Amino acid sequence: MSALDVDIRLDRGAFRLEAKFRIPGDGIAVLFGPSGSGKSSLLSAIAGLMPCEGHVRLGRELIGDSAVDLHVPSHARGIGMVFQDARLFPHLTTRQNIAYAFKRAPAQKRRDIGEVARFFDITALLDRPVGNLSGGEKSRVALARALVAAPDFLLLDEPFAALDGIRRRAFIQVLLDTQRSFGLPMLVVTHSIDDAAALASHLVVLQAGRVVTTGAFDQATREPVFTALLDPRDSGAAVSGLLLHSRPDAGQKYLWLRADHIVLATEAPKAISARNILEGEVATVQMEEDGSRLVELKTAVGVILSRVTGEAAEELGLVAGRRAWAVVKVHALQH
Amino acid sequence: MLSAAEAEILSTSFSVASLALLWSLPFAIGVAFLLARQFRGKFLLDGVVHLPIILPPVLTGFLLLLLLGRNGPIGHWLEQVAGIHLVFTRQGAALATAVMIFPILVRASRIAFEAMDPRLFDAAAMLRAGPLDRFFSIALPLAGPGILAGAVTAFAAGMGEFGAVITFAANIPGQTQTLPLAIYAVLQQPGGEGEALRLAVMSFTLAMGGLIGAEFLQRWMMRRLQG
Repeated sequence: MSALDVDIRLDRGAFRLEAKFRIPGDGIAVLFGPSGSGKSSLLSAIAGLMPCEGHVRLGRELIGDSAVDLHVPSHARGIGMVFQDARLFPHLTTRQNIAYAFKRAPAQKRRDIGEVARFFDITALLDRPVGNLSGGEKSRVALARALVAAPDFLLLDEPFAALDGIRRRAFIQVLLDTQRSFGLPMLVVTHSIDDAAALASHLVVLQAGRVVTTGAFDQATREPVFTALLDPRDSGAAVSGLLLHSRPDAGQKYLWLRADHIVLATEAPKAISARNILEGEVATVQMEEDGSRLVELKTAVGVILSRVTGEAAEELGLVAGRRAWAVVKVHALQH
Repeated sequence: MLSAAEAEILSTSFSVASLALLWSLPFAIGVAFLLARQFRGKFLLDGVVHLPIILPPVLTGFLLLLLLGRNGPIGHWLEQVAGIHLVFTRQGAALATAVMIFPILVRASRIAFEAMDPRLFDAAAMLRAGPLDRFFSIALPLAGPGILAGAVTAFAAGMGEFGAVITFAANIPGQTQTLPLAIYAVLQQPGGEGEALRLAVMSFTLAMGGLIGAEFLQRWMMRRLQG
């Protein structure tokens, strides 16, 4: 599938965006960054909706290069986009919205609307006007519509911003299923670490208009520049979801284990309700501003962070090289 | 009900107003779409569009005579190349009317285009719709109710256009004599007040019918649009 190669610069008033990164053509990449870091602008530039300097390459094809004055217009880039606000056409029914994409998709890439509707569980909505769909329904219809346009790459700008709780998790599941079933590479914008962990195999981190780190999700999230971006309460580490006892529907890539939710023991815990007990070796112990200690534990499933009080750290003798057990409550995995 | 002469006046009015609408509307939609966006010299175009409202209608008719009359630069060319006469003909009456209703059409269409969420264009572009495609598949249907209401109002106004028509196309029964021109003609004759009143009632009824019709059409289309 098509990898995305981006090296662009754009100015909007006082704001300057400079981004250079490459996203592999498989799996889901997450564009992560605080609000105002330029995530939406970057997406618009890749989509050709906003003029920029530099170049964008999709697969082997150059779709924009200011050096040779090349600017393939948005509609001809082979890139799809799902917007935060769905942007369904109000004068069309759900079916007509999807048919809009169908009519314009290349003939050899046309997907059956009925099948796509079944896949996204929107068959019952097809003949309804889009005005009275719920937020979750709108998101699914927007995703179905984007998919039917048969893009080679899909951009998603905070597609679940309007959803919360169960609906949000359900939509993440739909995205994962979509990626798997259709083999469509995606770049998803989010500022939620849990959403990012659930979706991402690849990460691009944007801060103040610059890419501060990028790479495989579990690697990139361990970079100090990334850790510094997080709210201290969100400090933690990515652990492959497959290696933990978790809820059965988890087709997630990673789980974000918050340091605050991990209990450490220096002896193997017995008679305990937690199902996930991971043995490991303390790698580092870092003193935090508030006196608590951030303990890095190397386990078979990867590095785990745990926050303990200074008192506890001393009592347990948590120092580098010490054997320890991390106790993870399953409910800590369900954000 | 109607005398033969009255029926002829009505049919002339309808045909002049319909032709005028047919010619004016496509240009008006195009110009309105332009005016709904930002570009250099926008105020100039906006000013030119509104000229027929600001100028005395007789002057508009006179300017048309200068341009499109037999000795006018365009009129001469039209006659030589295509054999088209506009002055003192039904087509001429329609043209003068088209110019007069142009600002009404532009204004209504522009408001309709401006009320549209421009981000829907981006959404359409990301579904492989090119610029022209987006105009016809998104902009036009969404602005439809506003444009249609403007068209009905313009049609009603076109039926009543006087100054420019009489200056450019004269007052020829069966050719260019529309309702207001007929009212003017009968008022010139002694004892014509009775007939003038009958024509005035017809004119009033048509105008009101047009306005009410526009309102209903717009409500109906809005309902369709919003589900």
